[in-house]
Amino acid sequence: MPAKRIIPCLDVKQGRVVKGVQFKELRDLGHPAELARRYDAEGADELVFLDIAASLENRGTREAWVREVAHELSIPFTVGGGVTSVADARSLLRSGADKVGVNTAASLRPALVTELADAFGRQCVVAAVDVKRDAELGWRVYLKGGTEPTARAALDWLWELNDLGAGEILLTSMDRDGTGDGFDVQLLDELSALPIPLIASGGAGLEVHFLEALQHGADAVLAATLFHEGILPIPRLKAYLAENGVSVRI
Amino acid sequence: MSSEPITLIDYDAGNLASLEGALDRLGLAYRRAATPDQAALSGPIVLPGVGHFEAAQRSLRERGWWRVLPSLVADGRPLLGICLGLQLLAEGSEEAPKASGLGLLPGIVRRLGPGVKVPHMGWSRVRQNYPHPALPDPHGGWLYFVHSYALEPTAETIYVAEHGRPFAAIEGRGTVMGFQPHPEKSGRAGLLLLKSALSWMGASTPEPEAPCN
Repeated sequence: MPAKRIIPCLDVKQGRVVKGVQFKELRDLGHPAELARRYDAEGADELVFLDIAASLENRGTREAWVREVAHELSIPFTVGGGVTSVADARSLLRSGADKVGVNTAASLRPALVTELADAFGRQCVVAAVDVKRDAELGWRVYLKGGTEPTARAALDWLWELNDLGAGEILLTSMDRDGTGDGFDVQLLDELSALPIPLIASGGAGLEVHFLEALQHGADAVLAATLFHEGILPIPRLKAYLAENGVSVRI
Repeated sequence: MSSEPITLIDYDAGNLASLEGALDRLGLAYRRAATPDQAALSGPIVLPGVGHFEAAQRSLRERGWWRVLPSLVADGRPLLGICLGLQLLAEGSEEAPKASGLGLLPGIVRRLGPGVKVPHMGWSRVRQNYPHPALPDPHGGWLYFVHSYALEPTAETIYVAEHGRPFAAIEGRGTVMGFQPHPEKSGRAGLLLLKSALSWMGASTPEPEAPCN
């Protein structure tokens, strides 16, 4: 069994890592390669970059920073945001990304997942899914960064993504995201039979939350603020997980 | 001491950006070579690789490498295969039953599983199985893997890892060595491993810096 992975997530806008401050302004945290180096040194197992303002115009900017990150980093990394075609993915992989993340585009055109898996192998395809629980209908899929509800049932969609060729699922609970109340372990329990790795995201606030998610079937855990703000340093988190019997790379 | 750069075989089947980044950080000089006539005259040759066995083999044939590599090795030239690169050095692979491998490493590459998630993707422990003069005992250290097929280990396999069953993580014979994990994606441990192997293969390491006064 491979080690359970700890994955910091970085939002990138126009080639800079940013962080939203109370939904108003974006604070600049630095160059992607700079932060990548820091997390590499701290012992992160992998990084996820989400290009939150991906557009045709900034494609050149993106290739440039992806290349720099690939050059600096000695761990794998995923880049997502605005990937709608095999050509988009190829440009990221050629620039040195190990995997590409797809979300809204895959939901609107599921064949995209299969096309990417056929072109690059399913290990390159990370399907990101944002979900929110409806009291009556259960977990639903949300699009466009979690702003747009759909009628799609989340659990069905996750299985379909597996069938389509996704290599991995990055699952964000919109109910928990930003709360610090812990990952949605009930949701993870529903997915224990999923044959591809599952990255749990949304809700991390304490060390024990990571332990819970991993005990409830997640293969990897993702967080942003906790790591960026230095609230929970990765070496401390890993030491805690190891003490509690989780297999982590130390 | 060789002053020639490391030759990186460039055949559209590898993530050269990351590998070059790792070599830069190690201070090792390298040169991309699409065809054998672009190779350095001496020093290690690195065969990276991701993708399908048969497609990679075809690409190496088209560029003239497939024919030349065995004779270079016969002349004592060091060769390092990484990931699919290791698999191409073996005798053959279940991924492409009709194609043969270069036969520079013993054994057949077989599909992983059943009973485990395939591809094997992530950090796994490796242990020393047979000592090698250049590679330290990893003591169960972690390396990063992404693969669906793996070389069967022999008694002389250097490092062994396990995913459902034991497989060759690092295999070596003479001046030929193969890494199944991605050393360029395996953090500090991977960089040290890459440096040890390439230095042993004769890559020129930078002169230590003169102390400043």
